[in-house]
Amino acid sequence: MGNLPLLNNYLSVGAILFALGLIGFLSRRNLIVMFLCAELMLQGVSLTFVGFSTFHGSWGGQVFTIFSLALAGAEAAVALALIVVLFRRNETLDISLWQDLREADQPPVLDEFEAAVADVEPVYPELTRSGLLPGQGREPGHHHRTIDEAIDEQRHEPVEVPHA
Amino acid sequence: MGEFELTLSTLIVVVLGGFGVYLLLPRGTNPSDRIARIVGCVLTTISLVLIASNFGDVLPNKTNELTFYILAAVSIVSAVLMIASHNPVISALWFALVLLSNSGLYLLQGAEFLSAATIIIYAGAIIVTFLFVIMLAQPNGAAPYDLHSREPLLSCTAGVILAWTLLGTLHYACNEEAKPLNQRPAGASSAALPSPSLVAKSLAGHPESVIREGKAHVDSLGRTLFLEHYVAIEVVGMLLLVAVVGAVLIVNRDPAKLTAA
Repeated sequence: MGNLPLLNNYLSVGAILFALGLIGFLSRRNLIVMFLCAELMLQGVSLTFVGFSTFHGSWGGQVFTIFSLALAGAEAAVALALIVVLFRRNETLDISLWQDLREADQPPVLDEFEAAVADVEPVYPELTRSGLLPGQGREPGHHHRTIDEAIDEQRHEPVEVPHA
Repeated sequence: MGEFELTLSTLIVVVLGGFGVYLLLPRGTNPSDRIARIVGCVLTTISLVLIASNFGDVLPNKTNELTFYILAAVSIVSAVLMIASHNPVISALWFALVLLSNSGLYLLQGAEFLSAATIIIYAGAIIVTFLFVIMLAQPNGAAPYDLHSREPLLSCTAGVILAWTLLGTLHYACNEEAKPLNQRPAGASSAALPSPSLVAKSLAGHPESVIREGKAHVDSLGRTLFLEHYVAIEVVGMLLLVAVVGAVLIVNRDPAKLTAA
């Protein structure tokens, strides 16, 4: 049986690492930093396991830590793949842009920084042009110019085509 | 020291550290930021020293004790700087330092294989993969959203409550455990650590799980892994394979492209 104050020391360090990981996970916005903080919490738990393993003279804690190493590898592979996919979609790693994933009846959380970001005019995608020119009502017996015709005319003579 | 004073002193130390971390978290680039960071550094250091003063004289020889204090301090300070730094690349490097000092702590406990495995797998493979993804996604360093943390006060409060619960329970349990049996209040032994006889009984059924002094370390760890946990080893191997295949499929949304090439 091991040394109790020694176990206390290792468990204290593990607990502090876990709490720091929690603070980072809750407060940082960057997806990658949040994931690093989750790994920090895992490190705190590993330290606790090894401390108990030494205290009880059993391999159990070290075996558990070896399995958690393998799990951390698998987790990193899947999480980094997901981060790459999310980054391709939004071109940013900011977690607060994924508030669409909240529950349907919850209001979005907007603090000062997010409100400033939300004020910026969004860039809308360029859509394929089709259908009638805007501003023309449908009247019977009148030939309505479509967008395609307007573009054809523009090819022959440079006419200003009104955009939507 | 009474229970109340013990709990209160732990709370004060943890609140001090938590407030220091709150001041260190990134909050924009205003000029008062630098002063707040310096005050945060001072508060966190004081809190760490106070926690370390509770540790006391534990290890059989002084060199080991000094090594423990240095490694633990490096580990915790790098963890604080990791959650406080603006640039994610620097965060990842501080995390690598946390891993290195943690593997030193494993070595100090006699977990040699684990110490090597942590350096090779975590610091060697996982951190490098992180750095690749950071370089891919954010090659220009800190982005605006890295400079503003999200609800720093609330998250520090949550962290302080968690740390207070864990450290307070630990100090209480160790205080109780150090007393002779007849001085403990009724029911207190269940709050403290499991009794040695219980652990010895549970280990008796698994002879490979007992750490024996003098036997080769990796030899007996391997015996434990492959004699008592062989099903789990197979399952973890399968899990790693599935995770790798899943990661490839998540990134390449069109599987037909993979087979065409």
